[in-house]
Amino acid sequence: MKKTATTLYAALALLLVGQGALNQLVVRDIWVKNYMPKGSQSATSGLSPDQMLLALAGFREMIAGILWVRADSFFDTGNYDAVLPLIRLVTILDPHQIDVYATGMWHIGYNFTDEDQRSDRRYVPSALALGKEGARNNPDTYELFFETGWMWYHKVDDDYKQAVKWFEEAHKRKDMIQARKNLLAQAYFRNGELDKAIDLYYNLWEEAVALEKGKDATYGNTQVRETIENNLDTNLVRMVQRGDVALKNGTYEQGQYDTKPPFDVGFSARVSVVAPRTIRVEGTWNVLPVGTRVRIVLRDADYPNGTPAGMNWDISDEVKLDPPKNITFMQDQLFVRNRRFDRIIDMSKDVTMYPFSAKKYLVEFYYNPRSAPPHIQDKFGYTGIGFTDSNFLSSDARPGERVMYTNLELSQDQILQRGEWIDRSAVVATKNFDAGRRKLDKDNIINIPNLRAGA
Amino acid sequence: MKQVWAIATTTLGEAIRRRVLLVILLVGVAFIAIAPGLGVLSARSETTVLRSMLLSIIQLTSAVIAVVLTVYMIPNEIERRTIYTILSKPVHRWQFLLGKYFGAVLALMVMMAMMTGVLCLAFFVQQGYRADGLTQLLRAPIMFFVQMCLLAAVGVFFSTFVTPLVNFFLSGAVYLVGTTFSSFFESMLNNPSSSNIAKIIGRLVNTLLPNFAYYNVQNPLINPTVVIQDETQNYIKIVAYGVLYIGVLLVAGILVFDRREV
Repeated sequence: MKKTATTLYAALALLLVGQGALNQLVVRDIWVKNYMPKGSQSATSGLSPDQMLLALAGFREMIAGILWVRADSFFDTGNYDAVLPLIRLVTILDPHQIDVYATGMWHIGYNFTDEDQRSDRRYVPSALALGKEGARNNPDTYELFFETGWMWYHKVDDDYKQAVKWFEEAHKRKDMIQARKNLLAQAYFRNGELDKAIDLYYNLWEEAVALEKGKDATYGNTQVRETIENNLDTNLVRMVQRGDVALKNGTYEQGQYDTKPPFDVGFSARVSVVAPRTIRVEGTWNVLPVGTRVRIVLRDADYPNGTPAGMNWDISDEVKLDPPKNITFMQDQLFVRNRRFDRIIDMSKDVTMYPFSAKKYLVEFYYNPRSAPPHIQDKFGYTGIGFTDSNFLSSDARPGERVMYTNLELSQDQILQRGEWIDRSAVVATKNFDAGRRKLDKDNIINIPNLRAGA
Repeated sequence: MKQVWAIATTTLGEAIRRRVLLVILLVGVAFIAIAPGLGVLSARSETTVLRSMLLSIIQLTSAVIAVVLTVYMIPNEIERRTIYTILSKPVHRWQFLLGKYFGAVLALMVMMAMMTGVLCLAFFVQQGYRADGLTQLLRAPIMFFVQMCLLAAVGVFFSTFVTPLVNFFLSGAVYLVGTTFSSFFESMLNNPSSSNIAKIIGRLVNTLLPNFAYYNVQNPLINPTVVIQDETQNYIKIVAYGVLYIGVLLVAGILVFDRREV
């Protein structure tokens, strides 16, 4: 009996050492690499006690699923404020739920709006941070790289270097959808990398032709191929007519191109405070065709990480559900019609979005030809070579880029119409603003060239 | 071995006749059956949520069954004095203990197989027949089964020397700590402000505790975009760890039970 006990003790010791060695030397690494929950354990503090217990006991995915179903019901009822913390919790509990990250980014970036459907831009860095986190947690799939790139391309619509960077990362992933690959080429165009864009289109075209000839070809493959052909054809013609090919060959100066001479858009603006927290913006823009949107920003003069008519959108790696509520950042577009714009911007109904707690404000006007629609770019060029403004052309607002930028100053008292401004309106204007000017000279009107000369 | 098998099959029969276990099983099966009714999300979210729900219900129900099944195992035999009839026959105590354990494992196998069958049905109803998706999904219940075998071994080990009520909470606590401790330990290792002594103690606990978290492999299975290299090999290593740890618990149980007055 004693011998049996000794054998059992020896077996126990051996098994104990064996499991310990296997645990620490082999299995733990596998678990850490592939299966360990990546979210913070402490971040489960938003859960109810039973949910937290279940989440801690290894049922994180189930709790994430339940919360996501709940978030979906809040979406349906329009209770957007309740959705945000749920999205954060779900992504913490299960950092591999791609849809939650993608929906969360879109929700944070687009859905927090004022009464006039203007996005609260203070949230955009958080939306981008969520995309970055999602991409870090899901590096094997293209989706969150693409979604983050899309947010740079479409929402920020200003820093195309970032869009290119994220789209390129998406392209490196094997599961990138063929139909979405075009967007990188478009981002290259907006970033001024025309050769890269054309090269990519050719590569995509070859890929599309091969897929179309493959045994699993679908009608979708044909559509993708035709889209690429159309884009390639259109952009090659545009590059010739806009003089980009000549620029590359060094013959631009000698030829006649649609972008020559640079067109002076003659921007001018006047801002009047018509009621507390409400401004009227009027001004001129010599481009006759519809399609111009001049960006207007009204922000604290000392807005943290502010840049001309923007901010450092990439400032945060941390998803903040509650951006600082004491700063103001309003961004909108001024739609130009008949070479003029006249817009009332009412910020009085959304005091949490526009608190106006700072003493000084900048009203900024910004136009980047890179973001212009193609028919306007036919005159301005991809990078603004055919664009100028005799007063406000700037190459500092976005270093290395030809943009229009100017700003006007307003004080807190002026915007809130208090103190000495209690019974009168503050009016600030650019020096060239002419209130009586209604019609411009015929020579100043932009003529949109035909895409195919002689056609 | 004959004796062990005889005790195991008897234990299986007893388990199947126990109403409390059947009720737990039925609740689990019912939840699995109604889970596809959650079809309110986008197609992919729906798949993710449904899979996570189904697998979690199986895991949770199995854990409750494993604990309830094993906490009464030895104490009931002693209380009802049936153990004397068995031990008066040419049956060693270790054979009795192993028989009880394997009986519990068989019972778990039957009950988990039933739940997995309903899971397949629910998956089929919601997703249609997709052999590849189903095969992939079935890996989780297999790993959960190993996890529950480990939990059952914990329950059997404690049942050799504590009362069922104490055992219930003790096994539950070991399951909870064994599931969560690894994450805390890794956080501790990555935290530069953690002291070396704390790290050493953490590693010791992490080595000695049964690590249930290793069997929570469902995340990559419910999120199809997650790619795991050498998945099968990983599973084999994790199962090997479980088998060794079950061995530790059973041998320790035999040693304790051998010395116990009955």
